[in-house]
Amino acid sequence: MAETHSLQDLRQAAVASKVFVQRDYTSGTICKFQTKFPAELESRIDKQQFEETMQTLNNLYAEAEKLGGRSYLEGCLACLTAYTIFLCMETHYEKVLKKIAKYIQEQNEKIYAPLGLLLTDPIERGLRVVEITIFEDRSIGSR
Amino acid sequence: MPVGLSVGGALGDPSPSRPFRPSRYVPVSAATAFLVGATTLFLCFTCPWLSDRFSSSIPLYNAVVFLFTLANFCMATFMDPGIFPRAEEDEDKEDDFRAPLYKTVEVRGIQVRMKWCSTCRFYRPPRCSHCSVCDNCVEEFDHHCPWVNNCIGRRNYRYFFLFLLSLTIHIMDVFGFSLLYILHHTKQLDQIHSGVTMAVMCVAGLFFVPVAGLTGFHVVLVARGRTTNEQVTGKFRGGVNPFTHGCLKNIAHVLCSSQAPRYLGRLRKPHSVQVQPPFLRPPLSEAQLAAKVLDNGVQQSKSSLEIMESQSTDADPPPPPKPEHRYPGLPHTQNEECSLLTEAPPTPSLYKYRPAYSSPGKNHTASTHSSKMSRGNSMTESPSVPVTTGQPSYRSDPSLSSRGGAGCRGGGEGGRAGSVGLGGASAFGGRSYPSFTDTLLQSAAASCSSSLRSAQTAHNALGPLISEGTTSTSYKSLANQTRNGSLSYESLLTPSESPEFESAAHELSPPRPHPPHSLSTAPGPPPILGYTSPFLSAQQREGSLQACPAPLRPSPNRAFLRPTSSPPSRAPPLSPRARSLGSPPPGPAPGHTPLGKSLSYGGGAELQHRPSTSGGGTPMQNSTFKQNVANHNTHSHKPAGGVKKVTGVGGTTYEISV
Repeated sequence: MAETHSLQDLRQAAVASKVFVQRDYTSGTICKFQTKFPAELESRIDKQQFEETMQTLNNLYAEAEKLGGRSYLEGCLACLTAYTIFLCMETHYEKVLKKIAKYIQEQNEKIYAPLGLLLTDPIERGLRVVEITIFEDRSIGSR
Repeated sequence: MPVGLSVGGALGDPSPSRPFRPSRYVPVSAATAFLVGATTLFLCFTCPWLSDRFSSSIPLYNAVVFLFTLANFCMATFMDPGIFPRAEEDEDKEDDFRAPLYKTVEVRGIQVRMKWCSTCRFYRPPRCSHCSVCDNCVEEFDHHCPWVNNCIGRRNYRYFFLFLLSLTIHIMDVFGFSLLYILHHTKQLDQIHSGVTMAVMCVAGLFFVPVAGLTGFHVVLVARGRTTNEQVTGKFRGGVNPFTHGCLKNIAHVLCSSQAPRYLGRLRKPHSVQVQPPFLRPPLSEAQLAAKVLDNGVQQSKSSLEIMESQSTDADPPPPPKPEHRYPGLPHTQNEECSLLTEAPPTPSLYKYRPAYSSPGKNHTASTHSSKMSRGNSMTESPSVPVTTGQPSYRSDPSLSSRGGAGCRGGGEGGRAGSVGLGGASAFGGRSYPSFTDTLLQSAAASCSSSLRSAQTAHNALGPLISEGTTSTSYKSLANQTRNGSLSYESLLTPSESPEFESAAHELSPPRPHPPHSLSTAPGPPPILGYTSPFLSAQQREGSLQACPAPLRPSPNRAFLRPTSSPPSRAPPLSPRARSLGSPPPGPAPGHTPLGKSLSYGGGAELQHRPSTSGGGTPMQNSTFKQNVANHNTHSHKPAGGVKKVTGVGGTTYEISV
């Protein structure tokens, strides 16, 4: 099996299971995900790390949905231009979503992929869940 | 209109190829024709004289208002209202036959139910509803508007609202200036210009009433932070709206928030991260090791939220959770139902399950809705222009009152209904369960636990009563269950869908002087009254209410909260029933109550089930199919922790933790 073992190393790992972190609706319909540490990840990642990631995501979403002067100005400008401004300008929410995508990519590269996990941007699921893919760990000594 | 990266085969395509129905385009075409046609005629025939006679700013002003109206109309028509993409298969690993139909979640202290959408394959987030016309779940679903041939949801509500405002102003302007023209041309009415102006005036005058009415309605909705769907189904009639942040903030949220992103048609970047073994492992602590041992490993993919549920499907039911876990105020957020599940011995998995995906239409049967809708619509705002033209989708997910819900809950509720007392678990089935810590309830709950979701359990006997296709299947499977109490209660609840709507619609119409005639006849929702009145006798009501009036007190924070059993201040809508019963019914109008309102109705509901029993029936009578305990529990349900149950209209029960 020695040769197949090395081949396995080259391929992407197989997906073992997926964890879905649901939305936290305790504060209303604002976009916020539960920071509770899922049981399935207990042996795969540090709880602190996970909670930090989720908290940062929540903060970013809060920033996107913030009702501030910026979003108000954007709305006014849109009204004045009969919404044609949307053809050329990116909305505040979209800008923050890009930031979030970048953050998730970064987290994946630095922290989660080495642990055999992968975070999926929740926007792909309609901001309903954060999907965490757990990859099969075939290395010796793994579970 | 907003910039979007469209990708074919976008993630989670919404409803795949729907049949082309040209009739859907008739209202929107008519609306467009009237708007553009009348305004063009006005600008061409009336405005030249106005600019000569008065000022050239008049046509300019009218043109600007018209353009603004048109822009909002286009945005409301073409913008994605906030459609959720279908969930992928791996997200829904839970067996369809074991997962509950409803999940309860706490939103700012109030229990809100999330219904499983069998078409979209996920639990609908709060305020989300499935539109049967568009066959999509829409975020913060307001209604499906035939005049723009689109759903109105989170993303395009503000454009719809601004469209209504600007259209009202535009109609008033056109009418006013046309009138001015006519008044100055009384001697030249045979001219073509005058004729056209008069025709434009007629059109404007004709549309003004419904449009203005609808605008006023939406102004109220925005100020109260409600959606049309919530208003019409009467979800918050009896209690607190957990989604409101105060009038000013609600308005700001509608008008000033940043444009919400679309979920469909997004460019999906493939993961550029390679995940390859060997993987690092975090050091395991003692606790983690211990936890690993305990973990039964069932359904690994489930989020922690659902772990408890899966546990309940095991052969060995987990022990009932401690009472404090069931208080909604505790940080168990999503575990309400979990705790509830764990309370009961695991009933066979048949009990709790969601209807299989194969019955996609069931959740949103237009037929069931339409009948309700038409009634509701007639009761709602008179201007039928935009919204309520009997669109089934309007009520596509009145889960609270809907059949499915009622049915489902029945199971759990049934057992609990009697016992629940105000707890509100009865209310809808499950909504409030977690708040009950009553030991008696526990036993009742145990039997009903599964009913939580599966409502289906409910109540076999009432299977046929369940209109919801999905729930009926579930009920059938539960036919063998021995959940006595729930049967009558739940089944009674299900037929109440229409009544709920009526009462909801009822609420929408301007307050009318109920009391005088209400006593003699059932107002707006006759079926509702008919539904509930026989069952609840004055004695029974008083009996059920006596136990609970005191404990239920609005918390300081919840000024609007009305304890279910306390004499409501809103006498008028409930008056007919209340008076007859001698005690004011709980907050929600009687019409809506059946669905799961407080206990007081629960008893009645049960009675209904047994025509032979006397109307009032004492709580003891209920025990024929319910445990006596259940009835007693109703009154004592009020937990020490200070959880208030408020039954909203439409069968929603809200529990507010003090």
